[in-house]
Amino acid sequence: MSTMPRRIASMVLACLWAASLGLIITPSAQAETAEPQGELMIEHFDPATGQRIIPNERCLTCHGDEKEKTDVRDDGTQVNLFVHREQIEASVHGEQRCNSCHTTIRRVPHREAPEVIVGCVECHRDTWEKFQNDPEGKHKRLKVVNEQIDNFMDSVHAQPNKLDESRTNATCYDCHDAHNVGELGSIQRAEKRLKNPEVCGRCHEKQLAEYRTSDHGKAVLEKGDSKSAVCSDCHTTHAIAAPESDTAKRAITKNCGDCHEDAQRTYFASYHGQVHRLGYTNTAKCHDCHGGHEVKDKDDPTSSIHANNRLENCKNCHTDANENFLSFWPHGDADDMEAYPTLWWAKRFMQGLIYGVIAFFWVHVLLWLYRELVDRFQGKGFIENLDRPDIVYFRRFSVAWRWIHALFAISTMTLILTGTTLLFSHTGWAKAVVSFLGGPKMEGIIHRTAAIIWLAIFLTHLTIALTNIWRKRKTFQWFGGTSMLPNMKDLQDLRNMFRWFLGRGPRPEFCHWTYWQKFDYWAPFWGAAVIGSSGIVLFAPEATASILPGWVFNIATLIHAEEALLAAIFLNSVHFFNVHFRPERFPMSTTIFTGAIPIEEFKHDHRLEYERLVAAGDLEKHLIKRPSRRAELAASFITSVLIMAGLALLTLVLIGIATAPK
Amino acid sequence: MQRDDTMTKNVRNLLLAVLALLPGAALAGPSGEALAFTCAGCHGTDGSSVGPSMPSIAGMDPEVFVDAMKAYQADKRNATIMNRIARGYSDEQLKDMGWFFAKQRLHLTPQKHDAALAARGARLHEKHCEKCHENGGRPGDAGTLAGQWMPYLDHTMADFLSGKRDWPRKMKRKVDAAIAEEGKQAIPALIHYYGSQQ
Repeated sequence: MSTMPRRIASMVLACLWAASLGLIITPSAQAETAEPQGELMIEHFDPATGQRIIPNERCLTCHGDEKEKTDVRDDGTQVNLFVHREQIEASVHGEQRCNSCHTTIRRVPHREAPEVIVGCVECHRDTWEKFQNDPEGKHKRLKVVNEQIDNFMDSVHAQPNKLDESRTNATCYDCHDAHNVGELGSIQRAEKRLKNPEVCGRCHEKQLAEYRTSDHGKAVLEKGDSKSAVCSDCHTTHAIAAPESDTAKRAITKNCGDCHEDAQRTYFASYHGQVHRLGYTNTAKCHDCHGGHEVKDKDDPTSSIHANNRLENCKNCHTDANENFLSFWPHGDADDMEAYPTLWWAKRFMQGLIYGVIAFFWVHVLLWLYRELVDRFQGKGFIENLDRPDIVYFRRFSVAWRWIHALFAISTMTLILTGTTLLFSHTGWAKAVVSFLGGPKMEGIIHRTAAIIWLAIFLTHLTIALTNIWRKRKTFQWFGGTSMLPNMKDLQDLRNMFRWFLGRGPRPEFCHWTYWQKFDYWAPFWGAAVIGSSGIVLFAPEATASILPGWVFNIATLIHAEEALLAAIFLNSVHFFNVHFRPERFPMSTTIFTGAIPIEEFKHDHRLEYERLVAAGDLEKHLIKRPSRRAELAASFITSVLIMAGLALLTLVLIGIATAPK
Repeated sequence: MQRDDTMTKNVRNLLLAVLALLPGAALAGPSGEALAFTCAGCHGTDGSSVGPSMPSIAGMDPEVFVDAMKAYQADKRNATIMNRIARGYSDEQLKDMGWFFAKQRLHLTPQKHDAALAARGARLHEKHCEKCHENGGRPGDAGTLAGQWMPYLDHTMADFLSGKRDWPRKMKRKVDAAIAEEGKQAIPALIHYYGSQQ
């Protein structure tokens, strides 16, 4: 009994199969009888399917009649029904049948007034799907067509129209002259460029009217110069975004640069351009100053960049802009000596300084490294004595100096990170960092906060130092062993260091401060002056412009960046080597955070000072116990983090320099 | 019990098999050709009419045939008897009959006509009618005019002009234009032109 249901099931299946077979066989048997035998009197039926074929010639009987290009519908409206036979035959669709696209047309003459219902996308997608691996590359152009279809689908044109959601804002044949789509390099395509403004202008009438008055519009529409910009050059052909969107603003600014390369290069060198290249649109873009559709030469009195109109432009963003803004060079080019000599000289000076300082100190670093390595192999130099570990330390930095250095290091690194994102806005890392920080506005706030901290520390230090000197003014030895002021001995030390590097003399003996330490100390004074003053100028453009001419911003932008680069590279390579990475110190010195230096190390690096203190009997005052294990660990940790951060910054900066567009 | 069960099952299987084949049998029905036999009385053997007021339907466009029959079914076309006849057929049968007639050759009977009038008609046709009634009105998606019986054409035009039959799209405009050009002679001229064709 248990087999019963299974048998019934199999029989039911068999019957269903027979029934479905009957359904399949019957229509095909009928189709066979419907197949015409012999010649039909009527033309244009497919004998295999019994479907009507409407040859293009039949359509062109009416639609290709030069004498009757229009017709009147029953409701009295006039319709244009004319199609250029030659155009369509020469077009890429020349071999298609009319109703391959006009699929709703099944009868000729039309029984009802036909609607133009054409879908381009499906056919192009299906055909590409079929031919994408075609060995002969048939229909290979459809690859681009399909990419453009995707672009269109994401564009504002493919969005539902606000006044009639049943329609998109625009579709393929609103722009493509459907019967006249030419191949690459064909006459149709050349004509298409010149017709582009008119095509867009069918909907965008106001914009076309503005464009007509522009230099681009005059060249294209009046002189027939197809090399001048047409709509699609700026707006793209298919990936058209709403003009108020960031996507559109970015695309348009990028596209301006396709022709105006120099203008874009110099724009990207400005603060406006740097922020924009990071992907943000809150600074001035090409069209903010030059106007969108009515771009005109600066000599044209109706141009938005004409001298009489320019200030209004600035005021769109800088509401308090004054006359001095007019002397700003929005496209100032530091490589153009004739047009911008001041800027040119500023750049040459700064670059000379950078190359000079970096080259000198990198040679210094390499030679030093060579000498210490050679000494080490020969068993010479300062080597830790494991049998007598350091227990006595020299107190080198007070708590205040240690805090000052820590804050200085952190704020400097913050400034480098946030500042170089603008300088290297072309890099992926800059975009990622700014995005991570929350955009250029937040980045600006962080940069300026760090700058205030940096300056505050600098001034605090200055106050303390000057107070100390004032207190000791009676006995202060300006050029003594503990003074930071450079003296003749520093020059001699420098010379003797090089002699030592080259194996031509002993290692010089130093006082409390070595010449490279003095350089590290004084460099921020120069840096504070250059970066600080230019930074303040850039910080408060309106206030600055109330007393200084606009080109000061160009100079400030340039030297602020160049000096920052110098500092970033110097600190994270030369300073790191001198203090941490040279073999005697490797991997790091924690003295700046513990404040203590092992007495043996002090003796080695500052022998003259050590001897002076011993002779004066003052050494004991400076000796302290070895810092606690926890203090050592903490100092190592902080130093490690800062070194890692510094090396990371150095890497980012070097990536930025190496990948900088020419 | 076991044997009774088997018997019942066998009978049921047989019934099911017959049921399965039934739709096929029903669809097989009479062919288009068989259905068309009944038309021969008026429209002539295989659709080539020998009577002057009966239109020939041999060789005609199968979709035009179906359109005409459906218009009769819906009383949208002035009929003597065709409205009743048309209601006797299913859509599928109409299609089969349409294809049967489409596949027939149209055998024309020479008709008396005025050659001069026919020549004027030819000119009018070329100017006003040819775009729809292509190839001088030979069978196509706008019906068959060439060689069609002249009295039938005369009746039909009278139906159009008197409003008994709805004008196809745009046709009234074209006929009006022909009449405006040629006056009362326009329709006879066209009819003589069509009648003159063999």
